[in-house]
Amino acid sequence: MFEHTIPVLIALYGIAGVVYFIRVLLGPTVLDSILAGDCVSLDVALIALLVAVYYENNLLAGGAFFLVLWAFVLDVFASKYLVKGEVGV
Amino acid sequence: MILSFIGVVLLIVGAVCDIFGAIGMHRFGNFYLRLHAATVGTVGGKFYPFLGAGLIALDRGLLPVAGVAFLSAFTLLITTSVGSHALAYAAERAGVVKIEHNELGGDWDD
Repeated sequence: MFEHTIPVLIALYGIAGVVYFIRVLLGPTVLDSILAGDCVSLDVALIALLVAVYYENNLLAGGAFFLVLWAFVLDVFASKYLVKGEVGV
Repeated sequence: MILSFIGVVLLIVGAVCDIFGAIGMHRFGNFYLRLHAATVGTVGGKFYPFLGAGLIALDRGLLPVAGVAFLSAFTLLITTSVGSHALAYAAERAGVVKIEHNELGGDWDD
Protein backbone atom coordinates (compact mmCIF):
# COMPACT_ATOMS: atom_id res chain seq x y z
CA MET A 1 0.00 0.00 0.00
CA PHE A 2 2.83 2.36 0.86
CA GLU A 3 5.03 1.42 -2.09
CA HIS A 4 4.94 4.91 -3.57
CA THR A 5 5.42 6.72 -0.27
CA ILE A 6 8.90 5.44 0.52
CA PRO A 7 10.59 6.81 -2.68
CA VAL A 8 9.02 10.22 -2.01
CA LEU A 9 10.34 10.16 1.54
CA ILE A 10 13.78 9.11 0.30
CA ALA A 11 13.72 12.11 -2.04
CA LEU A 12 12.72 14.46 0.81
CA TYR A 13 15.50 13.21 3.05
CA GLY A 14 17.90 13.51 0.11
CA ILE A 15 16.92 17.14 -0.42
CA ALA A 16 17.47 17.86 3.27
CA GLY A 17 20.85 16.15 3.07
CA VAL A 18 21.87 18.31 0.13
CA VAL A 19 20.88 21.46 2.03
CA TYR A 20 22.93 20.28 5.01
CA PHE A 21 25.86 19.58 2.69
CA ILE A 22 25.81 23.16 1.44
CA ARG A 23 26.44 24.19 5.06
CA VAL A 24 29.34 21.70 5.18
CA LEU A 25 30.93 23.58 2.30
CA LEU A 26 29.98 27.08 3.44
CA GLY A 27 30.51 26.71 7.19
CA PRO A 28 32.40 29.69 8.52
CA THR A 29 34.09 27.58 11.18
CA VAL A 30 35.16 23.97 11.40
CA LEU A 31 32.50 23.33 14.04
CA ASP A 32 29.70 24.36 11.70
CA SER A 33 31.01 21.97 9.06
CA ILE A 34 31.27 19.16 11.61
CA LEU A 35 27.72 19.77 12.81
CA ALA A 36 26.34 19.72 9.28
CA GLY A 37 28.46 16.68 8.46
CA ASP A 38 26.80 14.81 11.33
CA CYS A 39 23.38 15.56 9.90
CA VAL A 40 24.48 14.47 6.42
CA SER A 41 25.82 11.15 7.67
CA LEU A 42 22.64 10.47 9.65
CA ASP A 43 20.58 11.34 6.57
CA VAL A 44 22.59 8.85 4.52
CA ALA A 45 22.05 6.22 7.21
CA LEU A 46 18.30 6.77 7.14
CA ILE A 47 18.21 6.66 3.34
CA ALA A 48 20.16 3.38 3.38
CA LEU A 49 17.64 1.96 5.85
CA LEU A 50 14.70 3.09 3.72
CA VAL A 51 16.29 1.58 0.61
CA ALA A 52 16.69 -1.68 2.53
CA VAL A 53 13.01 -1.59 3.46
CA TYR A 54 11.96 -0.71 -0.08
CA TYR A 55 13.89 -3.51 -1.76
CA GLU A 56 13.32 -5.87 1.17
CA ASN A 57 17.01 -6.70 1.41
CA ASN A 58 18.55 -7.28 4.80
CA LEU A 59 22.15 -6.71 3.75
CA LEU A 60 21.58 -3.10 2.76
CA ALA A 61 20.78 -2.12 6.34
CA GLY A 62 24.14 -3.08 7.76
CA GLY A 63 25.86 0.19 6.99
CA ALA A 64 23.29 2.38 8.71
CA PHE A 65 24.41 1.56 12.23
CA PHE A 66 28.03 2.30 11.44
CA LEU A 67 27.09 5.68 9.99
CA VAL A 68 25.30 6.54 13.24
CA LEU A 69 28.39 5.58 15.22
CA TRP A 70 30.60 7.52 12.81
CA ALA A 71 28.68 10.73 13.48
CA PHE A 72 29.24 10.34 17.23
CA VAL A 73 32.94 9.56 16.85
CA LEU A 74 33.38 12.57 14.57
CA ASP A 75 31.81 14.84 17.20
CA VAL A 76 33.85 13.57 20.11
CA PHE A 77 37.23 13.46 18.41
CA ALA A 78 36.86 16.83 16.74
CA SER A 79 35.87 18.37 20.07
CA LYS A 80 38.79 16.71 21.79
CA TYR A 81 41.35 18.11 19.39
CA LEU A 82 39.70 21.53 19.36
CA VAL A 83 39.80 21.74 23.16
CA LYS A 84 43.42 20.63 23.25
CA GLY A 85 44.26 23.29 20.70
CA GLU A 86 45.84 20.92 18.22
CA VAL A 87 43.39 21.94 15.51
CA GLY A 88 42.39 25.53 14.89
CA VAL A 89 38.86 26.80 14.42
CA MET B 1 -0.87 -2.88 8.31
CA ILE B 2 -1.27 -0.68 11.37
CA LEU B 3 2.46 -0.83 12.01
CA SER B 4 3.17 0.37 8.46
CA PHE B 5 0.69 3.21 8.89
CA ILE B 6 2.32 4.36 12.14
CA GLY B 7 5.75 4.03 10.52
CA VAL B 8 4.78 6.16 7.53
CA VAL B 9 3.33 8.83 9.83
CA LEU B 10 6.57 8.88 11.82
CA LEU B 11 8.57 9.12 8.59
CA ILE B 12 6.50 12.06 7.34
CA VAL B 13 6.83 13.90 10.67
CA GLY B 14 10.54 13.24 10.59
CA ALA B 15 10.87 14.54 7.04
CA VAL B 16 9.16 17.80 8.04
CA CYS B 17 11.45 18.18 11.08
CA ASP B 18 14.49 17.37 8.95
CA ILE B 19 13.67 19.97 6.31
CA PHE B 20 13.00 22.58 9.02
CA GLY B 21 16.34 21.75 10.59
CA ALA B 22 18.09 22.05 7.24
CA ILE B 23 16.52 25.45 6.64
CA GLY B 24 17.45 26.53 10.16
CA MET B 25 21.07 25.62 9.56
CA HIS B 26 21.13 28.36 6.93
CA ARG B 27 18.84 30.90 8.56
CA PHE B 28 20.42 31.04 12.01
CA GLY B 29 23.28 33.37 12.61
CA ASN B 30 25.86 31.79 14.88
CA PHE B 31 27.07 28.38 15.94
CA TYR B 32 24.93 27.90 19.02
CA LEU B 33 21.72 28.64 17.13
CA ARG B 34 22.78 26.24 14.40
CA LEU B 35 23.33 23.66 17.14
CA HIS B 36 19.67 24.02 18.06
CA ALA B 37 18.62 23.57 14.42
CA ALA B 38 20.84 20.51 14.08
CA THR B 39 19.31 19.00 17.22
CA VAL B 40 15.81 19.53 15.82
CA GLY B 41 16.94 17.89 12.60
CA THR B 42 18.60 15.03 14.43
CA VAL B 43 16.21 14.04 17.21
CA GLY B 44 12.98 15.00 15.48
CA GLY B 45 14.21 14.33 12.00
CA LYS B 46 16.21 11.13 12.45
CA PHE B 47 15.14 9.40 15.67
CA TYR B 48 11.45 9.15 14.81
CA PRO B 49 12.10 8.11 11.18
CA PHE B 50 14.42 5.36 12.39
CA LEU B 51 11.58 4.08 14.57
CA GLY B 52 9.19 4.41 11.64
CA ALA B 53 11.47 2.49 9.29
CA GLY B 54 11.82 -0.17 11.97
CA LEU B 55 8.06 -0.50 12.30
CA ILE B 56 7.62 -0.80 8.53
CA ALA B 57 10.35 -3.44 8.40
CA LEU B 58 8.69 -5.28 11.27
CA ASP B 59 5.40 -5.28 9.41
CA ARG B 60 7.04 -6.71 6.28
CA GLY B 61 8.84 -9.43 8.18
CA LEU B 62 12.32 -7.96 7.74
CA LEU B 63 13.53 -8.68 11.24
CA PRO B 64 17.27 -7.84 10.71
CA VAL B 65 16.37 -4.47 9.22
CA ALA B 66 14.00 -3.78 12.10
CA GLY B 67 16.70 -4.71 14.59
CA VAL B 68 19.23 -2.40 12.98
CA ALA B 69 16.66 0.39 12.86
CA PHE B 70 15.68 0.16 16.53
CA LEU B 71 19.29 -0.22 17.65
CA SER B 72 20.29 2.80 15.55
CA ALA B 73 17.44 4.84 17.01
CA PHE B 74 18.44 3.98 20.56
CA THR B 75 22.10 4.73 19.87
CA LEU B 76 21.18 7.98 18.16
CA LEU B 77 19.11 9.11 21.13
CA ILE B 78 22.09 8.69 23.46
CA THR B 79 24.96 9.82 21.27
CA THR B 80 23.37 12.94 19.80
CA SER B 81 23.11 14.71 23.14
CA VAL B 82 26.66 13.72 24.09
CA GLY B 83 28.03 14.93 20.76
CA SER B 84 26.12 18.20 20.95
CA HIS B 85 27.46 18.88 24.43
CA ALA B 86 30.99 18.07 23.30
CA LEU B 87 30.73 20.42 20.34
CA ALA B 88 29.25 23.22 22.46
CA TYR B 89 32.03 22.80 25.03
CA ALA B 90 34.67 22.89 22.30
CA ALA B 91 33.07 25.98 20.77
CA GLU B 92 33.11 27.75 24.13
CA ARG B 93 36.74 26.80 24.74
CA ALA B 94 37.80 27.80 21.24
CA GLY B 95 35.94 31.11 21.48
CA VAL B 96 33.93 30.62 18.33
CA VAL B 97 31.07 32.90 19.37
CA LYS B 98 31.52 35.96 21.52
CA ILE B 99 28.80 36.16 24.18
CA GLU B 100 27.68 39.77 24.43
CA HIS B 101 25.33 39.53 27.39
CA ASN B 102 25.10 36.72 29.91
CA GLU B 103 21.46 36.35 30.89
CA LEU B 104 22.11 34.00 33.77
CA GLY B 105 25.15 35.61 35.27
CA GLY B 106 23.92 39.18 35.45
CA ASP B 107 25.59 42.19 33.92
CA TRP B 108 29.30 42.24 33.30
CA ASP B 109 29.63 45.44 35.31
CA ASP B 110 28.48 43.81 38.56
